[in-house]
Amino acid sequence: MALLKREEWQQYVRDVNWTYSYVDDEAVYPEWHSGTGKVPRSAWLTWEEDYKVTYPEYVATQRDKESSAYAVKAALQRSTTFDHLDEGWKSSTKMHFGGVALVEYAAVLGELKMARFGLNAAWRNMATFGQLDELRHAQITTFFGHEFVKKDPQYDWTQKTFHMDNWVPISLRNLFDGMMIAPNVVDLAIALPFTFETGFTNLQFVALSADALEAGDVNFANMISSIQTDEARHSQQGGPTMEILVEHDPVRAQWIIDKNFWGSARAFAALTGPAMDYYTPLEHRKQSYREFMEEWIIDQFVHTIEDYGLKKPWFWDEFMRGLDTWHHGLHMGLWFWRPTLWWRPKAAVSKDERDWLREKYPNWETVYGDKWDVIIDNINNNNVEATLPETLPWLCSMCNLPCCNAVQARNGRWRVPEWSLTYDGKTFQFCSNACRQIWWKDRDNVNHETLIDRFLAGQIQPMDVGGILTHMGLTPEVMGDDPDYEAWTKDYAGRPATGIAAVAAPAGQEGA
Amino acid sequence: MKNPVGPVLRMGDEVEQVIAAIEDDNPGMEIEVIDRGSYVRVQGEERIVLTRDTLREYLGHEFEIHTLGAMMSSFVGRVITTSDAIVWERISARREAPAGEGVPA
Repeated sequence: MALLKREEWQQYVRDVNWTYSYVDDEAVYPEWHSGTGKVPRSAWLTWEEDYKVTYPEYVATQRDKESSAYAVKAALQRSTTFDHLDEGWKSSTKMHFGGVALVEYAAVLGELKMARFGLNAAWRNMATFGQLDELRHAQITTFFGHEFVKKDPQYDWTQKTFHMDNWVPISLRNLFDGMMIAPNVVDLAIALPFTFETGFTNLQFVALSADALEAGDVNFANMISSIQTDEARHSQQGGPTMEILVEHDPVRAQWIIDKNFWGSARAFAALTGPAMDYYTPLEHRKQSYREFMEEWIIDQFVHTIEDYGLKKPWFWDEFMRGLDTWHHGLHMGLWFWRPTLWWRPKAAVSKDERDWLREKYPNWETVYGDKWDVIIDNINNNNVEATLPETLPWLCSMCNLPCCNAVQARNGRWRVPEWSLTYDGKTFQFCSNACRQIWWKDRDNVNHETLIDRFLAGQIQPMDVGGILTHMGLTPEVMGDDPDYEAWTKDYAGRPATGIAAVAAPAGQEGA
Repeated sequence: MKNPVGPVLRMGDEVEQVIAAIEDDNPGMEIEVIDRGSYVRVQGEERIVLTRDTLREYLGHEFEIHTLGAMMSSFVGRVITTSDAIVWERISARREAPAGEGVPA
């Protein structure tokens, strides 16, 4: 018997928008969850996805994806591939597993909210597939990371990260709670499927897979690029929502894109940036972080939002300048505060690596070279202690990342400017102008307290580095350290060490 | 290209066949292929069509459009799926189209 084509029956089973007679519509679709705002309820009747899928199609395709991902894992499980991966690359994967596994679960909750409160049955149907997707991602990421715990305890942070009050997961919880947990479903569809999944996840799940494959991590490359095939589909909830919102409330659409674009850009500068430009071995880097950003975000995503009739975000110039600085400053910060990490950040500033950085980022040497030289000379003077942290950095009250963005002043000098504001009797610090502006517009939101706020409020005891590390859940066997100091300092051994304060001090004293 | 659209295909055995099918279904159109190892960008100007019939010529008679979903990590433009074809087109093309004129696959 010939089966009907999907087009001949799907609308009858999918478009189940009931007319309620026993309860008020507001009771079923309360505004604080459904978020129609200025959009007339009737407008949502036109919501229609272009990337259509039925349940039988969904199950068949997902079965193929899962079989394929687990087959590769099984084939490689008995090989020594993992043991031969570069420590820097492994750090990229530890950061990914810890940073992503439970964000995927948060995305399940976001999709479920759209599946319940979306104002069109087709949307709710698509979100139902979306939550199944995200459940798969939470499971596969957790399972693949867990595999390596027996080889390296840092992989335990695959499951642990989001339960810890470490500064990295605090930052990520702040971003994703604002993107997935707190918003009504209209804002959520613009923030998560449209901005994050159509734009930024491509960078971590597709672009990074190019480096993964080059680095020999076939299993990881296969897993992340498989995950993104789901994102490519369920992210299409964003388009129809965007078309309706742009027609009735373009200011709201632009604001939701702008603030989530900025938050995502900050987070990716901290995580994807160092992975691509420092942790991936030089010979395996497919493109620089900036080049991948240009390909996926500047060319592809911005083209998309302009096609929907919107503009580039208001902070565009600040964002573009940040492509040459943010992730370099954050990399240095991650490396310096390495005991606070669950991976082993490698500095990756040997002469060859610096040549590459200068080629990709012409200002790199001017802004960062002298700082690394101080660190290098301290290490070559057997004074690693001088390169370890004794205090905390200022963390941004918006993105929760260290305030370390170098900006070139009119006189040509590079400096890290102070962005602060006082509100309700308290002074808040920010890493950038746009973080300050977003915080101000959203000041009635409940933002997570930064680790510094917690420290100053006396929540972290004892108030020293040991107390801070314990508060963040770092134990000696997982605490981050550079995997190979010699690899990037030996090029400079024996040179006159003019740049270090520590050499002037008597042997045995620390300096930084 | 001014308005490139098209799929981003993840690594796999069937990438070359899908590219060949796209070229067959879009005669006369420049199809750009950017190979980054683990993913391949395939793009054409404004609108690309790929039919199930052509895909079946390359990948067997049981190949379905939805199967392509397992290979497509991303795409540029608006994607429209039916049982018989998949289309990637410029997002604003529909808004600019005269009223009543759909975008048939």
